[in-house]
Amino acid sequence: MSIIQQHTAASLSDAWRTIDIDALQEDSSVNFDVSTLHPPLPEVSEAEVRQINAQVRQLLRGGDAEGALRGSLEMPVYNGSDLAKEAHLQTVIEVLQSIKASDMTPMLQRIYGTPGGSECLDVLMKYLFKGMASTTSSGGSAPRTPTRMTPQQTGFSQVGSRPGGSSESTGAAMSVLLSWHEKVVEVGGLGSIGRVMTDWRKV
Amino acid sequence: MVRLTAASSQSLRPYLQAVRSSLTAALCLSNFASQTAERHNVPEVEARTSPEVLLTPLTIARNENERVLIEPSINSIRISIKIKQADEIEHILVHKFTRFLTQRAESFFILRRKPIKGYDISFLITNFHTEEMLKHKLVDFIIQFMEEVDKEISEMKLFLNARARFVAESFLTPFD
Repeated sequence: MSIIQQHTAASLSDAWRTIDIDALQEDSSVNFDVSTLHPPLPEVSEAEVRQINAQVRQLLRGGDAEGALRGSLEMPVYNGSDLAKEAHLQTVIEVLQSIKASDMTPMLQRIYGTPGGSECLDVLMKYLFKGMASTTSSGGSAPRTPTRMTPQQTGFSQVGSRPGGSSESTGAAMSVLLSWHEKVVEVGGLGSIGRVMTDWRKV
Repeated sequence: MVRLTAASSQSLRPYLQAVRSSLTAALCLSNFASQTAERHNVPEVEARTSPEVLLTPLTIARNENERVLIEPSINSIRISIKIKQADEIEHILVHKFTRFLTQRAESFFILRRKPIKGYDISFLITNFHTEEMLKHKLVDFIIQFMEEVDKEISEMKLFLNARARFVAESFLTPFD
């Protein structure tokens, strides 16, 4: 009798089936230390990010958009808190949005031509993908399907469930990132995307 | 409505272009046997048993309702598409449409039976697919699918509305 009770307590629930026993083994491939795949990176604090942001803004106000872009891309936040990374992303996006569409290609070509320029474009590509991922995840946290699924009185009216003005603004922000993406691929080639995927120094 | 579609078709081209270049860059696959199970060869992006062969996932978004997630790994990539759904009718139509496709996943080769969370339809391309199919044709297929599916859904919605109007009319004629 008592044995049966022990069984019901410990093993009749099937939660133990979901335990990944391979992960408990020390030399399992699941436990590969991915921090060995990139060189040690200096930690960037939020204060430093804010300092860069201020410098970049000053350059922007002075009309030196190229310098601002270079400045924001030469100091990527690889190792830092999420807040610092987010703040730096905002800095980069701010610079990108302030540059006119006609200036994009010549500016990228100038940056690409200078020493260290191709690394700058790779960093820019990283921030473009991060920008597209982050705005969608923040927008996706809100329930996408309207909570009221009751039949609408007006039948097939599409006014009620049209997404609000917020999606219009994110759409505009996305199209800036998308056109930058196109221009970076034009100048830096497909390799810049490949290096975003394979680089373990993540922004 | 007309103004909206005109604006969106303008941003559709860079969106598809970004997906095309990212897919082309990501479709660089090689044969890679499983490191956990001997004599097995599984798509690493699904198995997730070796973190070092999984690459950084890429998100391409046009707005918060339309996005593509590309998850590359050494021997397979997973592409997930979130199809535009402006209202509830489109939501239902997209659900029915993707269900129709995923139920026939064997004959589509690269289609995944179940979309990953937050997306409507997923594709899984392994190195065996890229070995027997042409890479640029695979990319073309995905792009064409994305182009067609929006058109298809809005067409189906128009049909549905026309039919509903017709049904309502003929239903209400006796009371006229």
